[in-house]
Amino acid sequence: MAAAELAGLFAVYKPAGVAWGRVREAVETRLLRELNAAPAAAPRQRVRFLPTPAPGGGGAVELVAARVPVLADHPLVRGPRFRKLKIGAGHRLDVKASGVFVLGIGHGNKLLTDLYNCHLTKVYTVGGLFGKATDDFSDTGNLIEKTTFDHITREKLERILAVIQGTNQKALLMYSNIDMKTQEAYELAVKGLIRPMGKSPPIITAIRCLQFALPEFQLEIHCLHETQQYLRKMVHEIGLELKSSAVCTQVRRIRDGVFTVDDALPRTQWNLQSIQEAIRNCQLRVETELEKTLAHGEGQESSSSAGWGQLGMLGRNVHEQSLQYSTAATCQQCDGQQKERG
Amino acid sequence: MAGLARRLLCRGAPAVPPGTRPLRQAEEAAPVFQYAGKAAKRKDRVFVWGFSYSGALGIPSFVKPDAGWKKPRRIQSTPYRLETEEKISSAACGYGFTLLASNTRDITKVWGMGLNKDSQLGFQRSRRDQTKGYEYVLEPSPIPLPLEKPQQTRVLQVSCGRAHSLVLTDSEGVFTMGNNSYGQCGRKVVEDEIYSGSHLIHQLKEFDSRVVQVVCGQDHSLFRTKKGLGHYNITSVPTKLHGDIAGVNIIQVSSYGDCCLAVSDEGDVFGWGNSEYLQLASVTETTQVNVPRHLPFKIGKVKEAACGGTGNAVLTEEGNVFVWGYGILGKGPNLIETAVPEMIPPSLFGWSDFNPDTRVAHVRCGLSQFAALTNRGELFVWGKNLRGCLGTGRMEDQYFPWRVTVPGEVVDVACGVDHMVSMVRSFT
Repeated sequence: MAAAELAGLFAVYKPAGVAWGRVREAVETRLLRELNAAPAAAPRQRVRFLPTPAPGGGGAVELVAARVPVLADHPLVRGPRFRKLKIGAGHRLDVKASGVFVLGIGHGNKLLTDLYNCHLTKVYTVGGLFGKATDDFSDTGNLIEKTTFDHITREKLERILAVIQGTNQKALLMYSNIDMKTQEAYELAVKGLIRPMGKSPPIITAIRCLQFALPEFQLEIHCLHETQQYLRKMVHEIGLELKSSAVCTQVRRIRDGVFTVDDALPRTQWNLQSIQEAIRNCQLRVETELEKTLAHGEGQESSSSAGWGQLGMLGRNVHEQSLQYSTAATCQQCDGQQKERG
Repeated sequence: MAGLARRLLCRGAPAVPPGTRPLRQAEEAAPVFQYAGKAAKRKDRVFVWGFSYSGALGIPSFVKPDAGWKKPRRIQSTPYRLETEEKISSAACGYGFTLLASNTRDITKVWGMGLNKDSQLGFQRSRRDQTKGYEYVLEPSPIPLPLEKPQQTRVLQVSCGRAHSLVLTDSEGVFTMGNNSYGQCGRKVVEDEIYSGSHLIHQLKEFDSRVVQVVCGQDHSLFRTKKGLGHYNITSVPTKLHGDIAGVNIIQVSSYGDCCLAVSDEGDVFGWGNSEYLQLASVTETTQVNVPRHLPFKIGKVKEAACGGTGNAVLTEEGNVFVWGYGILGKGPNLIETAVPEMIPPSLFGWSDFNPDTRVAHVRCGLSQFAALTNRGELFVWGKNLRGCLGTGRMEDQYFPWRVTVPGEVVDVACGVDHMVSMVRSFT
């Protein structure tokens, strides 16, 4: 019953050049293979009266009681025990990007929606290259223009980054749907806790330059509600602002809410044991983060407060719930399979 | 070899997708454009925002549209670029008018725009009637100063009050123009004098030492010389200030309404003037203080002070901003008045664990607004948003510091009653 304990959230390191759907399917296939390879329960035994030739001779058949395994439990009849697993994906990554990719299994999928509603920031390392402009803002696109870049200094770049941060800070306050005239808004602004708790355009909460070696540079970007293509466009616009041009060479997510690169499992560790361990390690952190945001969300008069009520159920021991529901789920699975065969 | 065979077998022009080598070669052959050289300098610009019908913004198309599709714009609620021929080094906003000054040796050094009903912008000859002057100047127009050596003197600073203005030069003293009903221009009060269309620009030279800073209050003027502090007010003669300020080396003076603040080199604050709004309530109960009093605040060494109509702000050496007085002070809607300075948390000015070096570098006051400049070149404003003067893009009052989006690094800002002018350097 290893599938019963498989419920929760874990992070996987998605390599570049692969679509996120394929990563999800690869993890699912790997888990299914391991779950099905585990030794199955022993087949049921039944007492049957089998006809055997009588010891007397010629044609007479007598019934002998024998304890035989039920054919219905034979693996070739039943097929693999697990055919599908409910694995949900968190914030997606496009083909060219790499990094932390959160997946949820079983009842952990419900936590995925709640983590989405927490609106936590994600951190990316974005690599850029000055001197080129392409149509899709990455270094593999069609070249549009080449420019000089020897006039760019680290100081100019940091000035542009400061401005980007400033305007996005303003956007953070504007899209948070709080009335600026209240004392509450002032107190939240002082603590820096104002965040848009609903839909908003991509907002960059912090940006800084990690490395600068002309023509390459690397930025660390903390953002909300973004897409990777938006980050590439941001690199392009930084190039334009510096009176040159830039393309993005690498987008790597190093943190997604509470999951960091250290928690993300590389491809060699996409197996049942590592995933179970990862779920256990991250569970506490996910629960505390959800509770913290839930408590904060109740006090705040935000427009999406209606969705917070359901959070009260979660954040409790995920194990208990999963154990309760899992037996019912496997029974349903058995019934389903029997019906299919019948 | 297989590729070669493929090409031989297919007839016609095969649709072969370009390999990476031709693409790379095309890329290397592409021309390289240069938009900025290594010695490209940052450009200096002026941005204005606020109420435009008085002409104080200096953009005539807002008041009298010059194209059919343009509509008159009463309020410019976000920063708008004002094109100037010279680099503007000093700007000042009065009550409905603006003065811009450049540190150049050319003949035209000062430009003025806005209300000119009291000749606070000098005499602007009207084109329709050569004997009369303009009452509203919609564009930055040169102010003819009667300089003895116009190609050598430099204008250091300008300052504007309610209906008068002061121009400080480096070698020819101070020039004053505008309303003189309280003697604020430094000459004798003439009864029933008509100020509109007046050619008179008074020159003040008799100071015991060189004037370093001029400040205009609502209807009075302050001069800070290298030796002491003098003022004009109903006396029409420079009078040295006594009281607690006598003998103290003052590094900065500020005034905009009826209250005045001075900062000494040791970081002490002195105040005098109107105290109806608790500006000086920490030392006295009276509402009018004639003699400068030392304000014993324990907030650290003060670097700069800014005095508004009802509220005051000071900036300490560590980069913290303290406010007191009456009105929207910047700590939320609950803080309306206080006699003791309260600190505005630095996180509101962009300070965070990510940027621990951000601090406020300058603080300025309008009549009921405050402006703060950080060392990163960001401008924060708060206060009453009278006719869009805050520049936030909204018409509501702002109860805590709010960033103004300016396309450049803000070097200096001048606040008026219902408009603001900022001097900005471009990023690259």
